[in-house]
Amino acid sequence: MPRLDLIRECLEGTIPAMMATCASDGTPNIAYLSQSEFVDERHVALSYQFFNTTRRNVLENPHARLIVTHPLNGERFRMLIRYLRTETDGPLFERMRAKLAGIASHTGMSGVFRLLGSDIYEVLDIERVPGQVAAPPAPRRNLLAALRVCVERLAACTELDGLLNTALHCLEAQFDIHHTMVLMLDGSGTRLYTVASRGYETSGIGAEIALGQGVIGVAAREGTPIRIGHMTLDTAYSRAIRAATLESGFTDGLETEIPLPGLPESRSQLAVPIKTCGRLLGVLYVESAQDLRFSYDDEDLLVTLAGQLGAAAMQLNHGGDTAEPVESSVPLPAPTSGPPAVIRHYAENDSIFIDDDYLIKGVAGSILWTLLTDFVARGRHSFSNRELRVDPRICLPDVSDNLEARLILLRRRLIDRDACVQLDKAGRGHLQLTVRRPLQLVDVIENLPHTRPPLTASTASGRP
Amino acid sequence: MDHQTPTYPLIDPDAALFISGAVSISIGTRSADMLPNLTRAVGCRLSPDRSRLHLLISREQSAAVLTDIADNREIAVVFSQPSTHRTVQYKGRDARIETTVDGDHDRVRRYRDAFVGELVPLGYSEHAARAVVDCRLDDVVVIAFSPEKAFNQTPGPQAGLPLGPGAR
Repeated sequence: MPRLDLIRECLEGTIPAMMATCASDGTPNIAYLSQSEFVDERHVALSYQFFNTTRRNVLENPHARLIVTHPLNGERFRMLIRYLRTETDGPLFERMRAKLAGIASHTGMSGVFRLLGSDIYEVLDIERVPGQVAAPPAPRRNLLAALRVCVERLAACTELDGLLNTALHCLEAQFDIHHTMVLMLDGSGTRLYTVASRGYETSGIGAEIALGQGVIGVAAREGTPIRIGHMTLDTAYSRAIRAATLESGFTDGLETEIPLPGLPESRSQLAVPIKTCGRLLGVLYVESAQDLRFSYDDEDLLVTLAGQLGAAAMQLNHGGDTAEPVESSVPLPAPTSGPPAVIRHYAENDSIFIDDDYLIKGVAGSILWTLLTDFVARGRHSFSNRELRVDPRICLPDVSDNLEARLILLRRRLIDRDACVQLDKAGRGHLQLTVRRPLQLVDVIENLPHTRPPLTASTASGRP
Repeated sequence: MDHQTPTYPLIDPDAALFISGAVSISIGTRSADMLPNLTRAVGCRLSPDRSRLHLLISREQSAAVLTDIADNREIAVVFSQPSTHRTVQYKGRDARIETTVDGDHDRVRRYRDAFVGELVPLGYSEHAARAVVDCRLDDVVVIAFSPEKAFNQTPGPQAGLPLGPGAR
């Protein structure tokens, strides 16, 4: 019989699987499945969302018949499966629930469309349904060879900034994935902030997503890859239920539709947690305007890459600190020409405004304020990562916090805003502050006035 | 449970139009030892009084289903429209195997074209959609039965509720 792992694409649900069951009185029943999941060579998992006839039948009579269809060539396989058990927690359940929740939150169906359990079935038999199929499209390329190139390039990186950019460049060059970003988990563990991106009109560096929000946030919260391969269909499916729910007057709990960051016409999305040493560091996110762009194989690849990315990022975050003390640099005179730039620091959330333009907040804001304070007071323009890490004025949430990522974020924001202050790397573990205008620092202790220019959506709240 | 054949046609004119359109058609049966079986139909026709459904299937793709029909005549059939997810299930207990009649081969061809026309705008490739409903025309046989029960199976809270005459 055909191997299950070789036909796992058929379990994507892009052409919904059909399932026949039989009640104890001998009445057959058919259902379409909204979600099925490849577990391993001998097992599939089906979503249990409602107590319906299918559910009642398999509890009475555990055998079921499935027809699954390959999304690309329409080849069909018929399986005899036997219900084993229902999982209501653990990695598989979290993965399926997260995928379902991602679909739900995308269309405002959170709380209505939810997974009650992952039903695990043993696969007893697989037969190919006779019929003509066209040859599947040729593989884009040898994915293992491409993965090897990426792994070698990542292993050669010596700093976090370069590592992140290399990873995204590799995804484009080796896998033809053009819209990518890396988000890091903030110190509070409640939000993710964008630290690198590729392929978008604006970099979006500093943009935030709450844990649990959208595909990226759910992947981070649940610590499991989330892949949606056929956005049009998944969305349509949710909307069908939503219409039915609205008609039945069952509307409590519907949330405002959350627009997904990134591509406006995103049809394929894959968010993979970046984990290392048992910790979540962030999320690697890729998307495409093409249907069915990311397969199980792509997910395998990205999980592998994210693993290496996480281990290297962790190493570089700490290994980037130089052991030598900073050479005491000769104080530079502050610029005296031109109108002074007014830099406001709001202690409430460490937000920084330059001439009333919002720049950044949180830890990165605190870092910049510290650098500028030292620059104005003592003419210092050279700093080491090491001293920043232990500076009591910078409230890093904990010693293992990702200082390097904050610095990348800060540097990129200064560049994106073309600010009069710029921060450059000056050798490993050192930073060079460049100031183009005279500075006037204003430290604001009281709360942010509500009449402030509105913060953009990407900087609305939280501490990056 | 009451298994009396209804005195009214369970399939109203609107449902008749729906099941004759570009819908996915699945047939479920069960064996003598209660193993469920499943196949896909490639078209259907309804008797003029709307009381009897004739489902066109491929013999070679449906061997177990045909064995089951010969054994116990229990049947479930689901019609589902991919673009709207509107789904209806009919069940009956008097299914039997019949031969095709004049026009059935054309009916299969028209059904396939309509089905492919429904799937392609949803983003499926035409060759994948065609493969899903592919079979040899000279291999087509008919399963006929009188629906006794109808259920709404459009996804959502109303799924699984029985449909009466005129209900959608």
